Amino acid sequence: MRSWYVAWIAGLGLAAVAQAEETIKIGVVLPYSGVYASLGGDITDGMQLAFDLYGSEIAGRKIVLITEDSEVKPNVGLTKTKKLVFQDKVDLLVGPVASNVAGAMRDFVHNAKIPLIIPNAGNNLLTGEKCSPWVIRTSFSNDQINRVMGPWLYEQGHRTLYLMAADYSAGHQMMEAVRRGFTEAGGEIVGEEYPPLRETKDFAPYLAKVKAIRPDALYVFFAGGLAIQFVKQYQDFGLKGEIPLTGAGWLTSPLFLPAQGTAATGFIGALNYVPTIDSEENRAFQAAFSEKHQRTASEFTVQGFDTGRLIVEALKLTSGKTADKAALVEAIHRVHFTSPRGPFRIDPATNNVIQDIYIFEMRQTGYDIRHVVIDKIADVQDPPNGCKM
Amino acid sequence: MIKKRALANRDIAACILLLIAIIAWFRADIFGHELLAQISILAIFAMSLDLLTGYTGLVSLGHAAFYGVGAYATAGLAALAGWPMWAVMPTAMLLSALLAVFAGVFAVRLVGVFFIMITLAIGEMVHAFAFRSRVFGGDDGLGGVPRINFDAVGINLLDPAQFSLFTLIVAALVYFVAAHLVDSPFGRVLVGIHQNESRMRALGCPVRHYKLAAFVLAASFAGLAGSLAAQHNNFVSPELLTWTTSGEALIVVIIGGIGSLVGPAAGAAVFVMLAHHLSGITDYWMFFMGLFFVAVVLFGGDGLYGLIGRMRRALTHARR
Repeated sequence: MRSWYVAWIAGLGLAAVAQAEETIKIGVVLPYSGVYASLGGDITDGMQLAFDLYGSEIAGRKIVLITEDSEVKPNVGLTKTKKLVFQDKVDLLVGPVASNVAGAMRDFVHNAKIPLIIPNAGNNLLTGEKCSPWVIRTSFSNDQINRVMGPWLYEQGHRTLYLMAADYSAGHQMMEAVRRGFTEAGGEIVGEEYPPLRETKDFAPYLAKVKAIRPDALYVFFAGGLAIQFVKQYQDFGLKGEIPLTGAGWLTSPLFLPAQGTAATGFIGALNYVPTIDSEENRAFQAAFSEKHQRTASEFTVQGFDTGRLIVEALKLTSGKTADKAALVEAIHRVHFTSPRGPFRIDPATNNVIQDIYIFEMRQTGYDIRHVVIDKIADVQDPPNGCKM
Repeated sequence: MIKKRALANRDIAACILLLIAIIAWFRADIFGHELLAQISILAIFAMSLDLLTGYTGLVSLGHAAFYGVGAYATAGLAALAGWPMWAVMPTAMLLSALLAVFAGVFAVRLVGVFFIMITLAIGEMVHAFAFRSRVFGGDDGLGGVPRINFDAVGINLLDPAQFSLFTLIVAALVYFVAAHLVDSPFGRVLVGIHQNESRMRALGCPVRHYKLAAFVLAASFAGLAGSLAAQHNNFVSPELLTWTTSGEALIVVIIGGIGSLVGPAAGAAVFVMLAHHLSGITDYWMFFMGLFFVAVVLFGGDGLYGLIGRMRRALTHARR
């Protein structure tokens, strides 16, 4: 009885080892609960679609996703990362959404030398001063999205700009990027406001200042509930049509658009992806995604999709081998493809993505409010920003 | 001068718990050691809150402020200022205690729900400071926090197994000190204040001074837990300072058994293991954790420690 039991356990162990050799394990740390749950869902769906389309088995090894909920808490995200590395022995990691969770994971993956592919978190430092050979970002840096808007707005004839963003790191980093570009081009920042992140319900005091100063344009970054409230109050306050509203494109993300309605029209934003990009790849991607999920793919879905495709293409280059992590990262650097958001590749100098940035305007056609692309800045690449590998 | 303590039931339970922890340490894999370190740190934090809530009867919703100050002081002094860790840890405790002196002077004048509200406010103030602080990375947090270095004696705390053993030893020491404290005349006065504050005052006891002392002591142990947490994660963020962190500690204390020291330590183990296993099964694990908490409160409210005590008494009765 006892020997049978021992043999059975040993068999289980052997099976586990055999399976570990067969499958390629990808540990995924994303928020599946809390305020960012919809982002985590979009990224996972996008990644899954990439594996469906470009191959979920490489050189006889099946790709397996092991997902963990980060709960948008740094310490939870770090514990889950350690679990994936030590217990599940994953070959590489994907995650997270929030920059604070990424900050907690960064030192650990750097020391453990496990490749981590970030599909969202935009903190400049992650591919700047705090960059790591093992941390690769497929999404954006806060700087990358906003930097191009300064010179662009100046070219459009704006000479004075008013900045407004929620009072947290991302808000400050984005405004800093615009300020630099705009003042270098010759423009002037005539005022700035940083309302508290969670407590702000009423933007009237801030909007009153904007109304009094009358800048050529207002440049903002808000997301989530704040994005919805801000856009509505901007209209209610009578600023719409008076002072052009510009900003980081998440303001009118497909997630918030239904609640914003026609108040969103006229907004000019910059983003790495909008659903209406006119290209073969994007039409095919949107068709494939809506066939599977009956909804429009967001910028977060694309970031997940490209992350999945990057992994597949890199694994094809290493013939499915994952033991040599340095070779895997080197393969990631060699991958080039045309994504729904345009040409996609990773900059070996910073490990940040090099991508096109789209400048769009929200316009109403019939009952539809759509992102209409009005300009594109090609191949936007971050400077090293103090990154030494 | 102080009479030698009789070995209380509580101490026997603590020895058993320590034994279980040591067995777990020998059997654990790398990730098991990570969990054990997490449990030990939470146990220190929960025991420190138990000193305040369980023994002195002051329910605090701002205890995370002191935990966070310990963590942020460790990050600031070690990662930014480059202090050696042996100096950092006592300083972190001292800074937590210092904040507790300033906050406590006002807080101990209040009782009941007002005490809860002012501790909550203190916690939120510290959180807001960390959230906006450029130096500490604001809401993105600050990485690169080193661990205390024992290389000279051949101990490498970067190894999860050795670090978890280190935290376990610190937790055991904290229990030892705290147990002596609550059994000392000082601790008896605190319990007296908990049971009947007016009578203690009528007896001529300077109640506020004792409350302040308990507040500061609890805060410095919380600071120690925070310092260890910063070293464990090599990272600090304002999340450590949110009032939900305080609430979580309170839940751990209640699950384990309020006012028993060893109960909250066991509660920490139950909480971490339950969260780990439940979150592996379902994304809605907090719902089940909530159900468990409600069940614990309904079954007498004296937590696991009380439950075990009652089971033992029932068994001895049955044997007779």
